[in-house]
Amino acid sequence: MRFLLSGLLLCTTITGWADDFSSVVQPFLEKHCVSCHGETKSKGGIVLHDLTDVSTAFEKHELLENIIDQVRHEDMPPDDEDVLPSDAERAEFLAPLEDILEKIKKGDVPQSAGRVVLRRLNRNEYHYTVKDLFGVKFNPARGFPADGAGGEGFDTLADALFSTPSLLEKYLEAATQVVDSVYESPASLHKVIIAKPGGALDANAAAEKVLTFHATRAYRRRVSTEDVAPLLGVFKRGQQDGLNYQESLRAPLTAILVNPRFLFRAEAEQPGKTEWPLTDFELATRLSYFLWSSMPDSELFRLADKGELSDPKVLEAQVDRMLKSPKARALSRHFAGQWIGFDAMVNEVNPDAKRFPEFDQDLRRSMYYEATQFFSHLVKQDRPITELIDSDYAFVNERLAKHYGMNVGVKGSKLKKVKLNDKNRGGVLGMGAVLTSTSLPMRTSPVLRGVWILDSLLGDPAPPPPPDAGELPADDTMAGGLTFREQLEIHRTAKSCAGCHARIDPLGFSLENFDAIGRWREKDANGKALDTQAILPGDVEFSSPSELKGLLMFGKEKFARNMCRKMLSYSLGRPLEYYDEAVLTDLVNQLKSNDFKTQSLIKSVVLSKPFTHRSAKR
Amino acid sequence: MNIQTNKWQIGRRRALKGIGATMALPFLEAMRPMTASAQGVSGVDPVRMACLFMPNGVRPDKWTPSGDGSNFTLSPILSPLEAVKDKVTVISGLTNRPAHHGDGHYFKSASWLTCTTIEQTDGANISANGVSMDQIAAEAIGSQTRLPSMELGIERTKSGVDSNVNLTRLYGSHISWKKPDVPLPCELNPRAAFDRLFKDRPKNATGGASRDASVLDAVLQDAKNMQRTLGAEDAHKLEQYMESVREVERRIQNEEKAMGSGQNISPAAHEQIRELDKRINRHVGRSSKADDIGSVERIDPTEHVRLMMDIMVLAFWTDSTRVSTFMFGNSVSNKNFSFLDGVSGAHHSISHHKNDEDQLDQYEAINTWHVAQYAYMLERMNGIEEGDSTLLDKSMILFGSGIRDGNRHSPHDIPTVLAGSANGQLKTGRHLDAGNGEPLAGVYHGMLSRLGAPVKKIGDARREIRNL
Repeated sequence: MRFLLSGLLLCTTITGWADDFSSVVQPFLEKHCVSCHGETKSKGGIVLHDLTDVSTAFEKHELLENIIDQVRHEDMPPDDEDVLPSDAERAEFLAPLEDILEKIKKGDVPQSAGRVVLRRLNRNEYHYTVKDLFGVKFNPARGFPADGAGGEGFDTLADALFSTPSLLEKYLEAATQVVDSVYESPASLHKVIIAKPGGALDANAAAEKVLTFHATRAYRRRVSTEDVAPLLGVFKRGQQDGLNYQESLRAPLTAILVNPRFLFRAEAEQPGKTEWPLTDFELATRLSYFLWSSMPDSELFRLADKGELSDPKVLEAQVDRMLKSPKARALSRHFAGQWIGFDAMVNEVNPDAKRFPEFDQDLRRSMYYEATQFFSHLVKQDRPITELIDSDYAFVNERLAKHYGMNVGVKGSKLKKVKLNDKNRGGVLGMGAVLTSTSLPMRTSPVLRGVWILDSLLGDPAPPPPPDAGELPADDTMAGGLTFREQLEIHRTAKSCAGCHARIDPLGFSLENFDAIGRWREKDANGKALDTQAILPGDVEFSSPSELKGLLMFGKEKFARNMCRKMLSYSLGRPLEYYDEAVLTDLVNQLKSNDFKTQSLIKSVVLSKPFTHRSAKR
Repeated sequence: MNIQTNKWQIGRRRALKGIGATMALPFLEAMRPMTASAQGVSGVDPVRMACLFMPNGVRPDKWTPSGDGSNFTLSPILSPLEAVKDKVTVISGLTNRPAHHGDGHYFKSASWLTCTTIEQTDGANISANGVSMDQIAAEAIGSQTRLPSMELGIERTKSGVDSNVNLTRLYGSHISWKKPDVPLPCELNPRAAFDRLFKDRPKNATGGASRDASVLDAVLQDAKNMQRTLGAEDAHKLEQYMESVREVERRIQNEEKAMGSGQNISPAAHEQIRELDKRINRHVGRSSKADDIGSVERIDPTEHVRLMMDIMVLAFWTDSTRVSTFMFGNSVSNKNFSFLDGVSGAHHSISHHKNDEDQLDQYEAINTWHVAQYAYMLERMNGIEEGDSTLLDKSMILFGSGIRDGNRHSPHDIPTVLAGSANGQLKTGRHLDAGNGEPLAGVYHGMLSRLGAPVKKIGDARREIRNL
């Protein structure tokens, strides 16, 4: 539906594939797949009956990858089916699908900059923006509901940011609190009421000055008299009601913070065009929300106003400047936090208090900060992104050092960068935040950790378990004579489980030396020796975090592509489409030629077409 | 709404202020007449409705009562309902057929109250493809109360995508759908929920239009200007915002109209509102505290649920709203339940019990805890007299889950209990076997008509289930 065949060129290009699709792909799907993945049954949430033409295949390109994987590895159709495809049939089926994927990745298909739907500020963005606007010290968004998320998993996704009456009430309350707090402090008020009636300036003209100034900043562009008129109307009504000048400005200032031009990031239509570069103000807004989760500062406004920001050299220089600002921590907290998953440490993660009495708020915060600081370090020092997989340093404070069993002489609660001698600890896999948020309340979960590596690091999620797969006991001290590992081994011998778990579990086994809150251990919860031996299909053997990291380094391009995907989607606030795949290919190539340096990735994203342009259609 | 009816409205905003003169009014007069006169018919009390959602299903062999009709024995999981047994109807045999599609959890929870097939998506085109029955009710009768509806919960909206099934986790955290594409988030903070019901809106000292009203007036005007410049999809997003503004505007107008019209509240309700205010302060403080990384303090789960239930009870009692939903947790919730004796571990993990005896026992204990909280709410409502019956008798309090056996995500014979007689319109004290495969939507069909919000069709039902 979203993809419209546009232009003759496309029609001629796809004729060949269309033939293969109807003569080879569709009959295969009909014969082997749709009885379980169709209209009546949709096992694993996968439906294939509507995969009827090439344009649908474009839209569902991620599904194609999954299909190819499953059919090639003979995981699908399942062995217990009566009719199984021959090797030749498999190959004949796979060829056109692989061809389509290849063309998508090369950009050998119609390209588009894409289109982001009108995007509401999420609760973090609201907080930071109001702070930048009025200098408030508290978080007026703390009572806002957490924003759902989607696409590549971020709460910047425009489609998943809704407006509801209860949220609007909260906006109203927050705006009132913010403005009232300004009025409570003479110093703040002086900064906000930038004009007062006197001399040639009457009250209306002074109010217009004040409101124009704040509306310009809050709406992130030059405002028109039409924009200010409703605000001025509120001011005048206050005057009519007998309020003095200053008091009459309370309501219109509050109105700015509830205004849709503030709460939403609108990007103008350009009728008659199919695709266009963003205006400089729009670009300034995208850039500042990407790197800072907040509004543009005066330098960005100045460059946008002069029409200079869209110059690639200027853009790059601005990225350099912005990444030096403390505000760039937002990128670590909200981009890396949601991608790597340590965002869950803030509230969601909840180790059992009886089993892990050591896990208190101090440890929770230390782990969270360790992760954010590590990412900020990569950004600021322009380190290679591969240090996320493995690094010879870590950030710890006294508490974490003790928790990790490190003898590094760090004192106090402040995190310090320390050199690691222990090859197991470095990178995200050795971080308490990651190890804890991929565990259950009472125990580690090799499966969860394995899935996390495949999904979050490599961008290659495992298919869902069948509904009656069952789970192992929630508590590993009650393993009934068998070690936890032995139980899991039995569990995964079931035919329907073995295929995927052979890929998932070994990854987690090699991390078993890290307990459910990230401490090093040699024995399991029952005092038995741990079995960390891991064998992946293809007889790839390893048995420690350090060896796992070595293995992941072999897959660093896959990791890089996944990180590019995550960052592009986060920055755009939309799910990625088939036409973004070629952009990703480009981003990965640039990253490789820049020694995987973090800043080069950020700059490539900022300079990319989807970031700087907008299309008329999605 | 005319001034005549407002005169009778109960002064929730005054509740916190300790008003001497009106305190002496008898309880019944204070509580009752507003809707009776609003509807202008036969002095019938308003019916209230709450829908309480439990995630992750039930232990199937310990759920269904034995015996049929009024001659039945509560099952082990339902045993906490003993004290109000004559006021509940346990309904067996129901299924939510449109939710048979898709994955085992999200499709079955997001559609629990819509009885539709939700859109399979990780983010774009989020839609339940239908309005939830609580919101159908709110739309029909919500304008008669301070809040059209409340959506409460105790577990945070889960963010991100469940890449296992390629669905946004948002589907697991929302059961109320105002529009097919507008899910309503749960309020988790008892303080915020309480204040929304019982706290005064700040007034303009000079007696002019309140600041809130002028603010909304201005932004709506601006939104209209803005909307004209947007493309269709963007304009639709903005329309959601504009509708929200209009609804809050209506609320403020209603509140303003009711101002100074001799409102009052019964001393008993007044006392309980103050008590609850204090209890919330003890557990949550004056506002929701969060530290520098945004961690919020954890409230004891049982107390958290009970605070929310007491808020619902008082909201119903003071007729501040007639419609509420409550989520005990998100779908696939892995809430740690080891605060219960004999349970060690997380909800979703335990629900995949593999028929292991020990896991089943833990699953049952978790289920029973949920029912005990439900019983707490029912007993509270049953203790509040209203006219010649109780608040519970005037209400319909639904309890259920989107699936039966969590181990298999089974969508058949899903657990459903309906309490209260909707003011004598429902026969209670029964185990009603609806017949295998009767649509869950058929229960909602019947509930909506008893609430004064009848529909021709909801989900896959064009009529109510037999013998409701």
